[in-house]
Amino acid sequence: MRRRLFALAFIAAALALGCSKRSAPAPTASGTPAARLRLAMIPKGTTHEFWKSVHAGAVKASRELDVDLVWKGPLKEDDLKSQIDLVQSFTAQKVSGIALAPLNDKALVASVNAAAATGVPVVILDSALSGGNIVSFVATDNRAAGGLAGERAAELLPNGGKVVVLRYQEGSASTHEREQGFLERVKAHPGLVVVSDNQYGGPTTESAFTASESLLLAQNAAGGGVNLVFAPNESTTFGMLLALEKSKLAGKVHLVGFDISDKLLKGVQTGEIDALVLQNPFKMGELTVHALVDQLRGKTVPKRTDTGAQILDRKNLEQPEIQALVKPDLARWLGQ
Amino acid sequence: MGPLAALLAVYALFCALAPATFLGALNLATMLRQTAVVAVTSLGMTFVILLGGIDLSVGSGVALTGVVVARALQSGAGALSAVAIGVLVAALAGALNGALTAHAKITPFIVTLGSMSVLRGVAKGLAGEQKIDAEPRGLETLMTGGANALMPSGVWLALALALLGAVVLHYTVFGRHVVAIGSNVQTARLCGVPVERVILAVYALAGALTGVAGVLEFSTLTVGDPTDSLGLELEAIAAVVIGGGSLAGGQGSIAGAMLGALLMTVIKTGCTHVGLPNWVQEILTGVIIVVAVGIDRFRRR
Repeated sequence: MRRRLFALAFIAAALALGCSKRSAPAPTASGTPAARLRLAMIPKGTTHEFWKSVHAGAVKASRELDVDLVWKGPLKEDDLKSQIDLVQSFTAQKVSGIALAPLNDKALVASVNAAAATGVPVVILDSALSGGNIVSFVATDNRAAGGLAGERAAELLPNGGKVVVLRYQEGSASTHEREQGFLERVKAHPGLVVVSDNQYGGPTTESAFTASESLLLAQNAAGGGVNLVFAPNESTTFGMLLALEKSKLAGKVHLVGFDISDKLLKGVQTGEIDALVLQNPFKMGELTVHALVDQLRGKTVPKRTDTGAQILDRKNLEQPEIQALVKPDLARWLGQ
Repeated sequence: MGPLAALLAVYALFCALAPATFLGALNLATMLRQTAVVAVTSLGMTFVILLGGIDLSVGSGVALTGVVVARALQSGAGALSAVAIGVLVAALAGALNGALTAHAKITPFIVTLGSMSVLRGVAKGLAGEQKIDAEPRGLETLMTGGANALMPSGVWLALALALLGAVVLHYTVFGRHVVAIGSNVQTARLCGVPVERVILAVYALAGALTGVAGVLEFSTLTVGDPTDSLGLELEAIAAVVIGGGSLAGGQGSIAGAMLGALLMTVIKTGCTHVGLPNWVQEILTGVIIVVAVGIDRFRRR
């Protein structure tokens, strides 16, 4: 009997401990009944740096606009079913609005429409949804971002040269847009010749590294067959960087990449990477919350918002606005 | 009674913590819908665990079924034949588990650990390592609708299967054979129970139920996702054990497993309503499972 009581006490203590985190906003919520908005934001995962920046931006906006924000990603990172479950649970909970970064462009449509039908508006961020009753789509304009990389390629090779695109993965819409944006801009410069644009790096750094090595060999990069490589995301950029380092071509073959990590940053500092295109996840989180709150407060919301992209290179590395992208002040907003 | 008490206690707790939203009919319907897949897999798992076995391949089986159904629909099959093919593939995989366990005498933990990996690989290969878009041809309605008092047909299907399973377990010779084998194989054999045949049948049945769960999962996702349902097998095993099942075999009930499955959904949804971060939710889920089973075992002594 005593042991059972102990167990019950333990479970109660565990729950109380778990709930203490959120007990703070509760009085405010009941203090101003019905008026205070409660938003749910569902990222693709919770452990990646990118999503932490999105979260920080969303927290900033929610404080400025005086709304409650619940940040909740799929329990299993990148798990489609958990994400669908979350949209349904937040709908059943009748939150004021939902912001969602869909893991799949089709699978989330039904749940999003069900939310809209129950009167919960949905703003989509980061990746597009195929159809669906949504208020707005807030994301990087990937085609324009790829175009930035293409423009930089033309600047790096003023007398023309041989260009290679290491694509990311079949069926990935955002990176496909980046690749197309890059190719469009490069093809506008007659001196630039695209010698390969049909190889894929695949899902991991490992697969990207293998693909890069074969690609460099196949194009005779060591013999001057390649002057510049474009890679459309973090894993392909890092995989290509490793392959260039291993074949002692780093710094000789130009590399324009996408996204940021500590390793890539070092590559820029040493000059092995010429430029990286950076998205602005912090702004994405911020603008998403703004779109949702504007809709709920009866203002008009644009259907599409571009959160912008910027080139990072050795020259602008120390500028404060670039530093804010490279090392966002997460602690200030996430309290860690 | 143990699992029911645990469920009610946890349910009451979340009702108290999130009174405005947790009690609503919409939330109840949503929770039932989210439980259907785990419920159907833990139905098969109940039989397997009663037998003294284990099936680690059900998560992969669900993913494979979803991919098979999507592929079949994509190549022009109708909804019914796609479902039939999906369930058949899963049942065959289950039968293979059973055959290796019963006739090759390999322990089911190892057999299904292997098939967990094999089925996952087959699913990924068949899907070309990506999610398959297919026109669901009405299959999506299995798990949609029911925003009001009415539940979607997938939930009714799960309930009906649970009832049927309970009837089979309690009122048929097959059901008694399963319990007899789980309690003591030697005695069962001496009493003339066709042990090998029953083992094969149970794993095939579990496979078929995994297939049904896979169809419900496809209905929820509307795409065939080869990476889906990682770890579902552990949820199903937990549901059975929370419901009074013993991993040593011979003990377990279908009603208990259903309540166990529901308990896990209530924890998951409750944490979302209260707004707990994922890491707290994971700790809490583990603690509640162990405590619920612990209290139950203590009371039975």
